[in-house]
Amino acid sequence: MAFFSRRRKKTGPADAKPNTRDSGQGSKKQIAQSLLLSPDLDENLRFLKQSFADCSDVVFREFLFAQREQIKLALVYVDGLTNKSQLSDQVMRALSLEIPAATDNTVITKANALHYVKMRGLCIHQVKETENLQEAVEAILSGDSILLVDGHATAVINGSRGWEARSIEESQTQGVVRGPRESFVETLRTNTSLVRRKIKNKDLKIESLTLGEVTRTDIAVAYIKGIVNEDLVTEVKQRLTRIKIDGILESGYIEELIRDNPLSMFPTVGHTDRPDRVAANLLEGRVAIFVDGTPMVLTVPHFFVEAIQTPEDYYEQALFTSFVRLLRIGSLLIALTLPSLYVAIISFHQEMLPTPLLLSIAAQREAVPFPVFVEALLMEIAFEIIREAGIRLPRQVGQAISIVAALIVGQAAVQAGLVAGATIIVVALTAMASFVVYYSGSLAFRLLRFPLMFLAASFGLFGLIAGLIVIVVHMTSLRSFGVPYLAPIGPLVPGDLKDSIVRAPWWAMIKRPHLVGQNNPVREASGMRPKPPQTTAQKGGDADAGRRQN
Amino acid sequence: MLEGGKIDTWQAVFLNVIMVSATALLGAPAIMVAQAGQDGWLSALLATMLGLPIAWITVKLSSLYPGQTLIQYLDDILGRWPGKALGLLYLLYFTHITSIMVREYGSFLVDVFLIGTPITVVNAMGLIISAYIIKLGLEVLARSNQLFFPWVIGSLVLTFLLVIPEMDLARVQPVLEAGGLQIFKGSLAPLAWYGEIIAFAMVIPFLAKPGEAGKIVILTFIILGLIFFLLVVVGLAVFGPGLANMNYPILNVTRVISLSRVIERPEPLIMTVWVTGGLFKVTFFYYIIVLGSAQLLQLKSYRPLVLPVGAILAALSLNVSASTLQMFSFLAHYWPFYALFTFEFGFPVALLGIALIKNRGNKSK
Repeated sequence: MAFFSRRRKKTGPADAKPNTRDSGQGSKKQIAQSLLLSPDLDENLRFLKQSFADCSDVVFREFLFAQREQIKLALVYVDGLTNKSQLSDQVMRALSLEIPAATDNTVITKANALHYVKMRGLCIHQVKETENLQEAVEAILSGDSILLVDGHATAVINGSRGWEARSIEESQTQGVVRGPRESFVETLRTNTSLVRRKIKNKDLKIESLTLGEVTRTDIAVAYIKGIVNEDLVTEVKQRLTRIKIDGILESGYIEELIRDNPLSMFPTVGHTDRPDRVAANLLEGRVAIFVDGTPMVLTVPHFFVEAIQTPEDYYEQALFTSFVRLLRIGSLLIALTLPSLYVAIISFHQEMLPTPLLLSIAAQREAVPFPVFVEALLMEIAFEIIREAGIRLPRQVGQAISIVAALIVGQAAVQAGLVAGATIIVVALTAMASFVVYYSGSLAFRLLRFPLMFLAASFGLFGLIAGLIVIVVHMTSLRSFGVPYLAPIGPLVPGDLKDSIVRAPWWAMIKRPHLVGQNNPVREASGMRPKPPQTTAQKGGDADAGRRQN
Repeated sequence: MLEGGKIDTWQAVFLNVIMVSATALLGAPAIMVAQAGQDGWLSALLATMLGLPIAWITVKLSSLYPGQTLIQYLDDILGRWPGKALGLLYLLYFTHITSIMVREYGSFLVDVFLIGTPITVVNAMGLIISAYIIKLGLEVLARSNQLFFPWVIGSLVLTFLLVIPEMDLARVQPVLEAGGLQIFKGSLAPLAWYGEIIAFAMVIPFLAKPGEAGKIVILTFIILGLIFFLLVVVGLAVFGPGLANMNYPILNVTRVISLSRVIERPEPLIMTVWVTGGLFKVTFFYYIIVLGSAQLLQLKSYRPLVLPVGAILAALSLNVSASTLQMFSFLAHYWPFYALFTFEFGFPVALLGIALIKNRGNKSK
């Protein structure tokens, strides 16, 4: 990493400035930045060929403008990143074959060739001119093609990006029954367009920057002006520009570099691959960070309650959603505490169980050679292994894993008397419960289960509650971009409880969440609660009255 | 400023309620009933009435010296060295009662649930958690207390509801058999508990709205009055005056719960909730000792003091009394006089008097 040490030595203003468009090749940086295009086409090509030496995927195509010998053109692009049929139809065919027919033959000279190329010849929508070689190189690398005209010190950048990309598919990580199916893909522009299609408003701002000294990854910061707190946007941009790293391959890199409590297990930066979730977050006053090359979009600030919220909650009816939310909270608690509760009760507080249940468990455990803690720990570890195997294994052997898991680990272990049936039930329920909530939201709980089991085995319920207190206190101390992570529960924000443990109907959610949306608190008109139309109600009343009289 | 955090009105109410009631849950009903018999509940009400002046003095003193804690305005009232001396005494007093609290909870756990576990381990574990909370600051303490508060109160309410089948109000009768003096004597111990509200003077400057301190103590006393009253009435209705002979009467109340053979003897669960309350109470006093010491010594940060104070508390909690019974006897017979005549009532009254006279002198100039 030679260029890092070199960067540290040079602390000039150019380095301090964020986003300096440098190549990451330290020695060439200074020269390249100052280099302008030359009017001589051959010299430009020589420079580019030197820059792209040993890059077999860069294509240099020279041809004649309007079939005039004296006016040479050169097209440079990266094979595979550009739309080749577009280039041949709208650039090469248009400039070499169609232009002579469309214009007066005598007019075109070497001097006005650039004007003709741009204004009459090219059939491409996005066209930009540059005189900077470095900018031309970057344009080529990001998939645009550049057109050099002999005799002009200007490169025309054609927006002709087009590469093989995954099409928009259904979300793999956050499925819904009711609601839009689409999810983000790996291309940044496609992703921002998915959000723009949902929020057709000029106030949806999408600012771009480039991070990664080597990878030059495009990042977009999206927010809705007028709703978002401007300080938050500034803070996000400031934290992003602070990043100096060789490459960014996934938004997870950024997440770990910008979060508030770097060592906490709890995610204080949200991520999702669903455009509707991002749009909803933007509407509440959050900021979204798009990273090219990954479908996972970051949203900040992120609260703990978001772990139990899904996009579907806002599409399905409010009462049912509230029930499901309570279920999710219960599941979170089960995922965190059930194994330790089981260990604590069986080893310390047997009197809490009703006698028949106690006898049944005691009978099961009679032949088990381990203490209940060891037994539960073994099964939990076994389950974690199965889960990890389930994610990593090749699809074709999936069945083998489920057979092994169900038959050998489950049934055979009980029959062999290695574990009690009750333990299996506890472990299975814990496992199921941890899948109910948003995947990343439950990771911390999956991990914290183990220390809690140790505490429960040593101190019974006292150990369990001591562990829980430490966890809750830690969560209370967390902040996400200056906003308390446990809000609206700790600190209590009574108005925001309408969208936390339960969800209020849409006509009652008049205000945005206080801590992120206080800049522009009112989300909707009040008094929208649907009522029966006045006239029909009167008619109905009259009809009833009439019937009663009869 | 040693403490940058701010706490809002309800967080302060919850802190105060936990600060007074957490340890009272364990032994206070028995102490009241021992003096006043079936009229213990009248003692509870009387103590609430008598406690209000203490709260008023606390708030009044803070309002005379806004932005200052107890330890800080002692200097202003008494002058530099006498103020420092009394401040030191206050800190020693807080240290003493905090070590008693730690011991109380440690004994409770070791006597009832973790039989055979050394009390050192239990006390140390609680204090380590407290130290962790204090390192994170007052705001985190107030917020996490707010999160656990509903569980503490909820478990009490649940206990009262589930034990209804076992209650017989006839056991509370006859009313007023004990006579005024006995009722008053019974109210002294809970009054000393109420007097712990003096510790609130250490956090009034950190309220988001210091003007609402009066409202906070009124709300606190309403909630506390209800808790004390219900504790005694429910205890009496289940066990009658025999309650006086129990170490942990409310624990015994939870032991008789049995609901259609599904919920049986939920006392370990309820114990966990009370231990939570006790832990926050200890943390609050521990915090006040640490903060007060830092202010007395005029340090820039209180965090270096957290671990040393914790070590002192842990050591003292083991030696503060020879046995659980001795501790309860101290709490019932000596502590009310020790606390009320000095730090909780006597000193504050004297301080208020001096402060008012000094202020009048200033105004007349």
